[in-house]
Amino acid sequence: MLRTSSRLSRSLALAFAGISLTSVSVAAGELTIWCWDPNFNIAAMADATARYTAANPDTTFAINNVTQDEINQKLQTQLLAGVSDGLPDIVLIQDDNIQRFLQSFPGAFVPLSDSIDMTKFADYKVAAATYEGKSYSLPFDSGVTGLFYRADYLEEAGYTPADVQDITWDRLIEIGKDVLDKTDKQLIGMDFNDDGQIIMMMQSTGSWYLTEGNEPNILDNPALRESLEVFQEMSQAGLLKPVSDWTSYTGSFTSGDVATVPQGVWITGTIKSMPDQAGQWRVAPLPKLNDVEGATHYSNNGGSSWYVLSSSQNQEEAIDFLKTVWAEDVDFYQGILVNQGAVGSLLAAREGDAYKASDDFFSGEPVWQNFSDWLSQVPAVDYGTFTPEARLAVRAQLPNIANGGNIDDALKAIDAQLRQQMQ
Amino acid sequence: MAQARLDRNEQINGWAFIMPAMVLLGIFMIYPILWSLWMSFQVGRGNAFSFGGLANIQRLANDALLLQALSNTIIFFIIQVPIMIVLALLFAVALNDATLRLRGIFRTLLFLPCVTSLIAYSSLFKSMFSNDGVINQALMGLHIIDAPIPWLTDPFWAKIVIISAITWRWTGYNMIFYLAALQNIDKSIYEAARIDGIPAWARFCKITVPMLKPVILFTTILSTIGTLQLFDEVNNITQGGPGNGTLTLSLYIYNLTFRMMPSFGYSALVSWVIVLIVAVLSVIQFFIARDRRRTT
Repeated sequence: MLRTSSRLSRSLALAFAGISLTSVSVAAGELTIWCWDPNFNIAAMADATARYTAANPDTTFAINNVTQDEINQKLQTQLLAGVSDGLPDIVLIQDDNIQRFLQSFPGAFVPLSDSIDMTKFADYKVAAATYEGKSYSLPFDSGVTGLFYRADYLEEAGYTPADVQDITWDRLIEIGKDVLDKTDKQLIGMDFNDDGQIIMMMQSTGSWYLTEGNEPNILDNPALRESLEVFQEMSQAGLLKPVSDWTSYTGSFTSGDVATVPQGVWITGTIKSMPDQAGQWRVAPLPKLNDVEGATHYSNNGGSSWYVLSSSQNQEEAIDFLKTVWAEDVDFYQGILVNQGAVGSLLAAREGDAYKASDDFFSGEPVWQNFSDWLSQVPAVDYGTFTPEARLAVRAQLPNIANGGNIDDALKAIDAQLRQQMQ
Repeated sequence: MAQARLDRNEQINGWAFIMPAMVLLGIFMIYPILWSLWMSFQVGRGNAFSFGGLANIQRLANDALLLQALSNTIIFFIIQVPIMIVLALLFAVALNDATLRLRGIFRTLLFLPCVTSLIAYSSLFKSMFSNDGVINQALMGLHIIDAPIPWLTDPFWAKIVIISAITWRWTGYNMIFYLAALQNIDKSIYEAARIDGIPAWARFCKITVPMLKPVILFTTILSTIGTLQLFDEVNNITQGGPGNGTLTLSLYIYNLTFRMMPSFGYSALVSWVIVLIVAVLSVIQFFIARDRRRTT
């Protein structure tokens, strides 16, 4: 294997191409926005900008499709270099990633709590982007979780929807074994390079990988221990269908290979992308952990928020835009709920009509009302600075745990790797 | 005296001519290298860093993840480089045979992987080796295995996938070097060997391989360096997982800088570790090459 310097020139060329792509769209009075996912964030943002431009014809928007990884890299490189050329006015950042930006690059983002009333949003979303008493985010989509399940598979195994309401993970494992026996379908699609499943179980008790942002919370964390135990039990019972990336993860349930999908509400759009499965899916509250104090049925996975960069030339317009549409327009939230399945964090939006409607795809269940009820009960956690480090450390142990490895040893290894990486 | 002045004038002129190149080299090569060396003594996160003395080296000494990345990388090149070199050599010799028909087509097919983009072929391997991918389907269809092999979800199999991927990508590249070198071996040596009744395998071991030794050394050391810098494949196929099973040094540096709270000083130091390893390997190559010159 031989590498030449063309690698360097190639990546430079790519970098320049990226910069020029984004800089051509910058013009006077035009706000540039970076976000990912054309079917979700971009579509929702496009709707919001159209509403704002209708009322303020002078302000136009350029929404660029930039992946999450690219956003992290570009922001990090440019903020470090102190160069703001080509940076957008508004950017989307995932909640568990924002603290490291706020703490590494003080002053890079505009504190929105100075101009927008943050009590209008779900507490845990605001808490995720609060640093030294100020909130920097305009909270967007919620990752409030639920257990999506195939009612038809469960029925074949002799279970009714009432049997999966408000259950524990242990009970779900029993059900999963029966379903596997009778229908030959596994319970959950699981990417061993993703700890989302663990996070959902753990956060439902209000605990996290870290306490107070910076102290590892691994060894004496009963919620984490039990989450890993549940994961191991499911794996050993053959209930997990291993997948290797996002596409095969979504493929595991759109193809009908697994019986349940415990996931954030944003997965709804993907589940509904198979119209022929209408009436077969239903949603129950997330199962809860058995023996952990403070265990609830409410948790969160993913979800992101909008940020205004201090380097923006159009700061006031950007803030006004977020304030008038994203922080006030209840009607707008009904639209993105119906069209994109985006459950926003604006509490007032729950009073809109769309949230009260039932969904035929889910056999007439009032799924949106359920999700927004759950949303207000999600325990807030402090993601802190070192969540990416913690997540990498946990992921490193997942294959080992799945194969029946000792959980005490795994916890020690996670703790050791995390502490090492935090130096 | 006049002669000396002329000499000096010529010297000044000479330096003036190469000055633009030297300045550019200084700004874009030497300065960043020195900066990264200085940087590797800095501690702190993001923009807030300060001089930390030997703190980073202390951290390096206790870094289990670095050890894992290092051992993965070493496993990759200890297993992958010999397989690839032998394959490339065999292909080169086979293609060098004048009686082989459709040589041009075979040569193109073997070299084709080298012109495919790293990202494109990585994505392809990823989908081929996924749980319901072509490879598992084919193996199950042929009844060689009963259950799908967890190619990308088990650390051991993931290593195999990475090794197969880089072997597929770079064998043809090395083969071209051998093909070129084979043209330079005098045909009369083989003729004499054949007249003496030396069998084909002995001609290969006793004539071809020794004659290609400098090229083999060259490709081996370059492949080793390439493997030490392995990044694209692991980043795209496995992201270093599962369970850090395919984490390489380059990917670790990337993670330190972009996936985690940026700790630039420490990542700079880890980069210097790679430089050090490459330097050591180059010195080893230098000694082997010198040995060869003395004996012939």
